[in-house]
Amino acid sequence: MAQFRLQGSKVLAVDLTGDAVKAKNGSMVAYEGDMTFKKMSGGGDGLRGMVTRRLTGEQMEVMEVKGHGTCYFADRATEINLVSLRGETLYVEASNLLAADSSLRTGTTFTGLRGASQGNGLFTTTVEGSGQAAIMSDGTAIVLRVTPSTPLQVDPGAYIAHTGKLKQHFQSGVNFRTFIGEGSGEAFQIRFEGEGLVYVQPSERTTFGGDV
Amino acid sequence: MPFRPLNSRMVEATVVPGQRLFSQRGAMLAYKGDVSFTPSITGGQGGVLGMIGRRVANEATPLMTVEGSGTVMFGHGGHHVHVVELAGETLYVEADRLLAFDGSLQQGTMFMGSQGGVMGMVRGQVTGQGLFTTTLKGRGAVAVMAHGGVIELPIRSGRPVHVDPQAYVAHRGDVRSKLSTAIGWREMVGRGSGEAFQLELSGEGTVYVQASEEKL
Repeated sequence: MAQFRLQGSKVLAVDLTGDAVKAKNGSMVAYEGDMTFKKMSGGGDGLRGMVTRRLTGEQMEVMEVKGHGTCYFADRATEINLVSLRGETLYVEASNLLAADSSLRTGTTFTGLRGASQGNGLFTTTVEGSGQAAIMSDGTAIVLRVTPSTPLQVDPGAYIAHTGKLKQHFQSGVNFRTFIGEGSGEAFQIRFEGEGLVYVQPSERTTFGGDV
Repeated sequence: MPFRPLNSRMVEATVVPGQRLFSQRGAMLAYKGDVSFTPSITGGQGGVLGMIGRRVANEATPLMTVEGSGTVMFGHGGHHVHVVELAGETLYVEADRLLAFDGSLQQGTMFMGSQGGVMGMVRGQVTGQGLFTTTLKGRGAVAVMAHGGVIELPIRSGRPVHVDPQAYVAHRGDVRSKLSTAIGWREMVGRGSGEAFQLELSGEGTVYVQASEEKL
C-alpha cells in the first residue's frame, strides 16, 4: 500500500512500490524513481461516475500515478492534512481532495441545501474504504470532534471535510437585522450531530451565506 | 554565516565593515546600526561588461549593495525565503528569485544552450527560465525566494530526480538537467495528466522545489 507522509506542511510525499495513487491533475512537483502519470477520465469512477460527475458539477481532474520510488505533490502552497480511513467514509469537496490511495473508492453524494450555501454546489465527493487520503485547506486546518452530547456548528465557508456518522442540517440566524443590512455575517451555519470528526479551515470561501 | 531566518518569510543579515551584500532593490524591511544602501547600477558584479551581459541575457534585476555595520532584515512580496549555504559549489537560480546574497560570491550568467544545445534552449523556454540563468559560485550564503515552502531533494548519481518545471526553484552542484517529455495520445486529445513535461536532473547535488506551481 502506498505510504503517505508530509514533508513540511505543504508538500505530500508518497512512497510507491509498484502500486498506484490517485491525485489531482498536475499536482506533482517532483519525483524520484520511475513514475507514470495517466489521467483518469471522470474522476476514475468509470463511465457511470463520469456521467454523475458531469451532471452534478463535482468534476475532478484526477490522474493515476504508478511506479517505484517517491513522488511529491503540492498545490498552490495550500496546507495538506492526512486522513487515515479504516472503512469509514470521508466527505470532502472535490476541489479540496489532493490525493487518495487507489484502493479507496470515490463517488458523489447529495448534500442538500448546505452545498448551495457553501458555494460549492449541491453535491460533494465521498471517499470510502481503507487507506490514506490527503486533503487541502487554506491555512492549517483544525479537527473538531463531534459527540452526541456536543453538536457542532460550522461556518459553511470554513468547512472542508468530515468523517464518521454525522447528521448535518442547515440552520440560519436570519432576523430583521439581516434584511436592513446590519447582519453579523454569520447568518448561516451547518450543524453536525452524531459521532465523528469535522475539518475546519481558518479561512472562508466566498459564499452566499457569508455576505449576509 | 550572514543570513539568519527570522520566520519563514524574513531573513536577517549581519553586515560588517569591509563585507558587502547584494540584495534585490527594495527588499529591505528594517535595519539596525549604520548601514547604507546603494543602488547597484551595473546590477551586481563584473562592472559594465557584466551589466551588458545581464541586460542582453534578460537576467538583470535591480540590485543594491548593502554596506556598513549592523543588521538588516530582508523580505519581499510575502514569499517564502530559503537560505542556501554554498561551500565552493555553483548555485543555478533565476535572477528574480534572488532576495539577497553574499558579496563574496561570484555572479555570472549561463547560456541554457551550453547544456544540451538546442534542447537546452527549448528547456529554458518551457521552464520559463528563458535562454539564460544566473549562477552564483564560491563560499557564502544566498537567500532565495519561492512561493510556498521549499523542500530540498538530494540528487545522487544513478538516482535522477524529476521535477515539475513550474515548481523548480534552483539547483546546485554538478547536475545536468534535461527536459523529459511524456507526451502520448492522451495529451494530443486534451486528456493529459498535466505532467507532460518534466525536468530530469542527474548527477551529484541538490535541487530546490517549491510547494506550488505558481511563478513569483
